Amino acid sequence: MTALIELDRLTKRYGAVTALDRLTAAVDGRIIGLLGPNGAGKSTLLKCLLGLIPYQGSARVLGLDASIDGTQIRDRVGYMPEQEAFLAGMSAVELCTYAGELSGLPRTEAMQRAHAALYYAGLEEKRYQPIDGYSTGMKQRVKLAQALVHDPEILFLDEPTNGLDPEAREDMLELIVDLPVRRGVAIVLSTHLLPDVERVCDRAVIMHRGALRFAGTIDELRGARGPGSELAVGVRADADRLATALASTGAICRVTSPVALEVDLPASATSQLVFQTARTAGIQIRELAVRRDSVEAAFLRVLGEPRDVATASAP
Amino acid sequence: MTGQIHDLGYQRYAGARRSTTSRWTVILRHQIATAWQTWWRFKAWLVVAVLATGTGVALIYLASDTRLRMITNLRGAEVQLADGILPTFLGVFGVYDKIGFIAALFVATPAIARDVQSGAFTFYFARSVRPRDYVLGKLAGIGAVMALLLLAGPLVIALARLGLSDDWDDLIARLPTVAKALAVGVLGTVVYTAMPLACSALARSRGHAMVLWAGYYVVFSNLVVVAAMRTSAKWAVLDLPTALQSITLSMFDLQLRVRRSLDVPAGAAVISIAAHAAVAIGLMFWQVRNAQRAGVGGAA
Repeated sequence: MTALIELDRLTKRYGAVTALDRLTAAVDGRIIGLLGPNGAGKSTLLKCLLGLIPYQGSARVLGLDASIDGTQIRDRVGYMPEQEAFLAGMSAVELCTYAGELSGLPRTEAMQRAHAALYYAGLEEKRYQPIDGYSTGMKQRVKLAQALVHDPEILFLDEPTNGLDPEAREDMLELIVDLPVRRGVAIVLSTHLLPDVERVCDRAVIMHRGALRFAGTIDELRGARGPGSELAVGVRADADRLATALASTGAICRVTSPVALEVDLPASATSQLVFQTARTAGIQIRELAVRRDSVEAAFLRVLGEPRDVATASAP
Repeated sequence: MTGQIHDLGYQRYAGARRSTTSRWTVILRHQIATAWQTWWRFKAWLVVAVLATGTGVALIYLASDTRLRMITNLRGAEVQLADGILPTFLGVFGVYDKIGFIAALFVATPAIARDVQSGAFTFYFARSVRPRDYVLGKLAGIGAVMALLLLAGPLVIALARLGLSDDWDDLIARLPTVAKALAVGVLGTVVYTAMPLACSALARSRGHAMVLWAGYYVVFSNLVVVAAMRTSAKWAVLDLPTALQSITLSMFDLQLRVRRSLDVPAGAAVISIAAHAAVAIGLMFWQVRNAQRAGVGGAA
């Protein structure tokens, strides 16, 4: 099955500056967080994926080659920009109808879908008012509606919760979570707000200085030192004794209380090693969990520790 | 809205999409609608054009009066007064030129600059709109609006002259007037569409675009005319109003004593207008393509 986005040695240079450096990944999922500090190459990647700028290597979106089929891709992708991108003097319904027509929908269909998209985005009563008088939250909703109106299969959302108050942010996140469920749209969410990613994304792509640092599930990101390699173990008693026993197998242990310890397993070992060692030592295990960082901590760790992209990229 | 999302029975769109090559027509329609939206942007100048055209038609009607014609015939005039109205409007007073300049200031110069200012390039180019569709849509939309002012007026006056012909022979003899009015109208439309749109593409805001166009039309034109008067008349071909006037006078076989020193061959004037239009369209395309590549993405 074709992944939503496939990159193969995707490289983009602006003169001597390498904006994207041999990105290789197959990205799939329902809500994918696109993360990275300023200058990481996220905007350049989006431009490449939309077929707007030339590049080396290969980038495919929905199975289409972005260097050749840019217009077809843009018909099937919705883009919600971070900055304001409205036409002066238009009402929300006029803007969305125009957006639909520009994406190839017949006028009547575009108008019907404009009303539906605005209704969906929560602008039902205000949709005939000029956008110039809208609040930030309402403008964000119009941006979402205009990205949705032509019925895209993927939505690129660029900082959709920027500048929103907590209630409006909550509403926007609800819509983002609802979209894949109700409309079958996959979402690529480019954001700085890691709590948003933690809340809604099931996968993440992390970029830094034009290179891909991580591509995989959020769970993998949070335990990105290696799935299941770092464990939090709770015992009935004698945590010290279990730590000593495990150390003899090559594991690194930190005893955090008489009944708890953290274990870094050797590269090839699994959690079975802990159970086996405890059974041999006659210690009862009460709890065993994979130790996970918050997305924020994981993000910082990924940025700080370059990883092998080949092992990090996961469909 | 929290907790409540309305979807109005969403269904995936399964119908055909309009071909990419016809997306410019959507921009064309939008451009016309935008021009029509506000009173001062287009309708005011349309009223002025209608008044000018109405005046021209009324003058032709009066000049066709038998008693007036008897007087002019007695004075030995070779040309009927009614035949001179259209060339006078177009070539001597430049009535439609002036309307074209002012209308372009309000209709054409904001067309692209306003999109740059409001971030609308992202709106357009994140969709399957290509720079050439955008440029073509803007040119055709503004062209249609300007044609209503600069082409329809002269055409109506020419048709009125035909309608007031004495007989069929007279009518057939005056048919070329319609073609001449059409030609002048088309050239005027090209000039007053392409040049202000190029100014619009080069500016960063609507105000700058208006200043650029007004500066080009008033300051540059006058500098060229002064330079031509002091050096060689051929330089006057660079001034678009002069080029248009030369073509008009040449078509209607007229000469103006006051500006004889600025007469340029009609062929050279046509080439000048075509070259100006080509450069203007090239500039627009270049600017728009650069904006397309830079416009999508943002500060994420």
